[in-house]
This record gives sequence, C-alpha cells and structure tokens, in this order.
Amino acid sequence: MFRNLQVLSQIGAFAARKIGIFPSQILRPFTLSSVNRLKEIHEKREGNNLTIEGVYVDLPKSNVILEKSFNNKGVCSICALGVEVKHTDVLILSQFVRPDGLMLPRRITGLCRKQQKRIGTMVTMAHKAGLMSNLNPTYSKKDPEKRGQWKKFKSYFDESTIGKRKPPKPEWKWIWKKRNFYEKV
Amino acid sequence: MSAVKRVQQWASFARVWHLFDARWQNPFDSGVLIAKYLKGLYKPLYGAQSLCGDHVVVINCRHVALPGNEWRKRVYFHHATYPGSQTWTPAWEMHTRNPVMVMKKAVYTSMHGNLQRRHTMMRLHLFADEEIDPEIAPRISNVIKQIRPVPERLDLMPEEKVKSFPQIADLDKDYVIPELKEYPNWESKFRKMKKEGKKK
Ligand SMILES: [Zn+2]
Repeated sequence: MFRNLQVLSQIGAFAARKIGIFPSQILRPFTLSSVNRLKEIHEKREGNNLTIEGVYVDLPKSNVILEKSFNNKGVCSICALGVEVKHTDVLILSQFVRPDGLMLPRRITGLCRKQQKRIGTMVTMAHKAGLMSNLNPTYSKKDPEKRGQWKKFKSYFDESTIGKRKPPKPEWKWIWKKRNFYEKV
Repeated sequence: MSAVKRVQQWASFARVWHLFDARWQNPFDSGVLIAKYLKGLYKPLYGAQSLCGDHVVVINCRHVALPGNEWRKRVYFHHATYPGSQTWTPAWEMHTRNPVMVMKKAVYTSMHGNLQRRHTMMRLHLFADEEIDPEIAPRISNVIKQIRPVPERLDLMPEEKVKSFPQIADLDKDYVIPELKEYPNWESKFRKMKKEGKKK
C-alpha cells in the first residue's frame, strides 16, 4: 500500500513538473512507522479570512495500544491477534465503526478481505441485537427496547453463517397463502 | 423402618425448588434443560412412577432471546375446532400479548405428550420479570446454570472498562473523523405514511 502511494506521489510530481509547479509542494513524506493518529478538520474564521486545516489527532485510546495488532506487514490487525471475534465483542467491533454506527471501508480499516466481511457482518448483528445502541444516528431513540414490533425483543446470531449462501427457497405450499403464516404483511 | 431410614426417605423425596434466569437464553434449549429438573431425571432414584419431580422457578421470561429472525418466522398454530377458526400467530406477537407464553410452550413441547405432562407443568412457575412471588422466593435452594453467556451492552458498560480496553483497529492515518449529523426535521418513514393516510 505504501509503495503504491509513493509511486502515485511520483506520478503526481511528474505531472506537476509538466504544469510548472515546484515538485516539493506535492511530494509528501510517507512513513512506515506505527499509525496511531487520525485527522480532524478545523475551521477558523478571522474577519474575511477562512482557514481550513487538517490536524492529526491521537486515537481515543492511543495510550493503550495492543502492539501485537500494529506494525504487521502483510497481516491485518485482526489476523495478527489470532482471536476469534464474536458479535457480542462490542468493545472490538466499536473500533471499526463511524460515530453513527456504520462500518468503515476497507481502505481505512486496513483489514484483509475476509476479516472485513466478517467484522462488517458482525457489526450488523450487534446492532440488530441492540448491543451498540449508543453508536447510532442522532435521530435514533438509542434504547433497543423502544423499537417497534419484533425489533424490541432480544435475538442472537450464529457467526458460522457469515459469508454463506441462504438456503434455497422451499417449494410452494397451499398453506402459505394464509395470512400470518410467516409474517404480518 | 428405622428412624434414620425414614428421614432418609423424606430427604430423598423432598421437592427441591430451582431458579432459572431466562435472560438472553434460547427458550427452546432451556426448555429441555428445565424439563430435566421438572421430572427429576437427574436423580439416581428416578422412576417414571415415583413422584420425584422438582419445582422450577423461571424469571425474566420477557427477556428471552431467539436466534436470527425467528421472532418473525416462528409461528404458533391454534385451531378452535370451528371451520375457518385456525390462526397462525408469529412469536413476536405472542410475546407482546403474553411475555410468559413462549417460554411456557417451549417447556411444554419439550416433554412427551403423556398423561403426566399437565401435572408436571403445574410445578413450573414463570415470571415475566425479576420479581418473584413472596411466597415462592424463600423456598428456592438451587440455581440452574444458564446455557448462553449474557452479552454486555456497550452503552451500559462502565466507562473505565471501555477506556481501558486496548486499541486494536489500525485505522488509516488520513481518515477524517466525521461529525454526527443533526436531522432537525427527521421523521420516520412509517410515521410519514401514517400522517399521509390520515389526511386522505
Ligand atoms: Zn487478515
């Protein structure tokens, strides 16, 4: 990933030279050291001047970092741990979501394809079970027991079903014509 | 029969009162477990003819958990013998009407349909919440172990526990932390549909 970025930056420098911008303005240093900081955008308004700057901010838990899951070349942070994560492990899952509870994309989480799929599905499971109800959009009622119909009741999920196909639809039977047999329409 | 033997007989045939917390438990798995205690199958002196069954008090029946989408997909059939009187009620509807019924039916169906079943069910005491009948509470002398571990909710966890948990996610350095959007005039889809229906 870092090599690609360097190549990209070189291409950018080449293009800049063609246009006539000094390349040092575009070339940025890329480090291979541990990444434990995020970006935040601050806006300052002084009279008619608006300054927008991106500031690197420490992760919320940067004082307690599990070194094992960081600095692994070619291995993602969950694979490096070697722990089987379940959908009830909300302390792990909540690190991979946005403040409104949506799963982050793979280019930000840095997970491998398999783990991204697993974690993404387990985040959905945890939300459906009402285990991460504080990480929700502002219009949410937050309390899972205030949800409507069947959603207010507790349910749990099986992690072995992740990434598997749904079972085929059973054959049609006359009895299914009845209302309420499966669910209220 | 000597006095010692007689006391031994009383002690072995005395009814034990068990407590089972159904919070976050699958009612159909725990129904099988409860039936074992109701019939006294765990006792070495068990016999089908001997009355060695125990009482089981089940609390938190309202908070049972079903796997996946079973609240919608599981249906309870009832037929009042009149033509056209058959009904199919989803589990979630049954649970809103009576928070104890799903657990009761799970225990009932886990036993064979013989003449003893109704009498065995009389020894089952179900409570929707944590409050137990004050007459029953002092008799309980044993707690049945739960099948599934009770999961913890992130919003109810103590802050120290959340903060002391190590950072595992190795997030991208240039990820901009988004701010929570405010939706001042947000209304749910269903409420909108209801309002539009009223206008018509
Ligand atoms: Zn991986």
